[in-house]
Amino acid sequence: MKNDVLRNFLLETADLSRFAWRFFREALRPRYEVGEFLRQCFFVGYKSLGLVGITAFIMGLVITIQSRPTLVEFGAEAWLPNMVSVSLVREIAPVITALICAGKIGSGMGAELGSMRVTEQIDAMEVSGTNPFKYLVVTRVFATTFMVPLLAIMADAISLFGAYIGANIRGIVSWQLFWAKTWDSVFFSDFFPAFIKTFFFGMAIGIVGCFKGYSTSGGTEGVGKSANAAVVIASLLVFIIDLIAVRITDILNLN
Amino acid sequence: MTELKERTEKQERVPQNGAIISIAGLNKAFGENKVLMDFNMELFPRENVVILGKSGAGKSVLIKCIIGLMLPDAGSIKVFGSEITKMKTSDLDKMRIRVGFLFQSNALYDSMTVRENLEFPLRRHGTDKSKKEIADMLHEALSQVGLAHTLDMMPSELSGGMRKRIALARTLILKPEIILYDEPTTGLDPITGRGISQLILDIKERYGTASIIISHDMNCVRHTADRIIVLIDGRCYAMGTYEELKRSDDSKVKQFFE
Repeated sequence: MKNDVLRNFLLETADLSRFAWRFFREALRPRYEVGEFLRQCFFVGYKSLGLVGITAFIMGLVITIQSRPTLVEFGAEAWLPNMVSVSLVREIAPVITALICAGKIGSGMGAELGSMRVTEQIDAMEVSGTNPFKYLVVTRVFATTFMVPLLAIMADAISLFGAYIGANIRGIVSWQLFWAKTWDSVFFSDFFPAFIKTFFFGMAIGIVGCFKGYSTSGGTEGVGKSANAAVVIASLLVFIIDLIAVRITDILNLN
Repeated sequence: MTELKERTEKQERVPQNGAIISIAGLNKAFGENKVLMDFNMELFPRENVVILGKSGAGKSVLIKCIIGLMLPDAGSIKVFGSEITKMKTSDLDKMRIRVGFLFQSNALYDSMTVRENLEFPLRRHGTDKSKKEIADMLHEALSQVGLAHTLDMMPSELSGGMRKRIALARTLILKPEIILYDEPTTGLDPITGRGISQLILDIKERYGTASIIISHDMNCVRHTADRIIVLIDGRCYAMGTYEELKRSDDSKVKQFFE
């Protein structure tokens, strides 16, 4: 039983690696599906703005409200904007954005491609002389790779606005003072590594979502399983990439 | 007139013995389950061949091997004289323009309108065509299946029979010389099924296509077949016209006609 679990895990990892390798190989070769890429950017980016924006605002607000009593206890209430802004920009906004995208986009891709697989739409594309991997997978992975970082930047800004509102619920912090303290404490070295890792988050979400959808079998039940597995694996990969990114920035002394 | 000239030129490229599809010694297994065993057949121009067999007999596997969606374990498949099992993907794509495939599930793209479904293969292979030429081709294909008014509808708004006709129009849009039909009447009521069978004949008459039709709907088989191949135990068990096979004394063949 244990052997089966390990064997399945290794097989799945090998298949995912092969799929990722095929993505890089196909991505470099023409023909380039620019129209479909832009369409996917619209779905991945624009259609996620609302959910990411609301979540980022609530995150900024809640973290500020939760952090305040501890800082008050140590007489460090004045440091509230500094502490919250560093936490949000370095870690919370990028990771929360990636997790939301893993849930919304990863599952969507798993379900959409999975349903196309079981209804033979992917085969239909192939027999009409179109490379379905290039048309469906490469465009989607590029879309998540470029849109998740943009969503993360937007989440940074909105969550900081949420933090400003949170800081003013129990205290009074002027707009100018809040932003002055924020800019004093957030450096390029805080923002840049966090921004770079979101590209990897996006790519992981796209590859996993497409992999699970593209390799779906077993009818409608298989579609559900693919969508579910896409979310679970993509979320796990977001944390693993985050851990690696934090270690790299630590080793390179970028903190 | 130009279309006729193009077709004549294409048909000149047909191999000497006249067969546009030649299959020899085809084997395909899924694990222990041997689906096709030493299967042989030929398809000639302007001929409708029906493959008759029970569910799971390997009929769909056969046409998926012909179009290159599945690779056989052994054997040869020649389409227009070229061995497809050894073709590069780019050559396979060129061959697929000449061979249409109608899926059992229709396989219309859910997220696209009827117009976009039909334009999809055209835009990828007919990039030199003007908007007017594309519009004319769409109109011709949809008129052929009697659904010119559905251009801006989504597949989900269409009935089962209409979806089948639209899928057929999409197959026709590149003017293939061979059409592979995977159970074209399955899931349709007898009247709609008869309409689809008649459409298969009309397409053959109008465009001079050759077809392989996978079916176990005997009405469709009787209506469309020039020649029938009975697929049993992965082999070509019997072959003949509808009337010849109907008169057969072989119990395995007779069961299809009772």
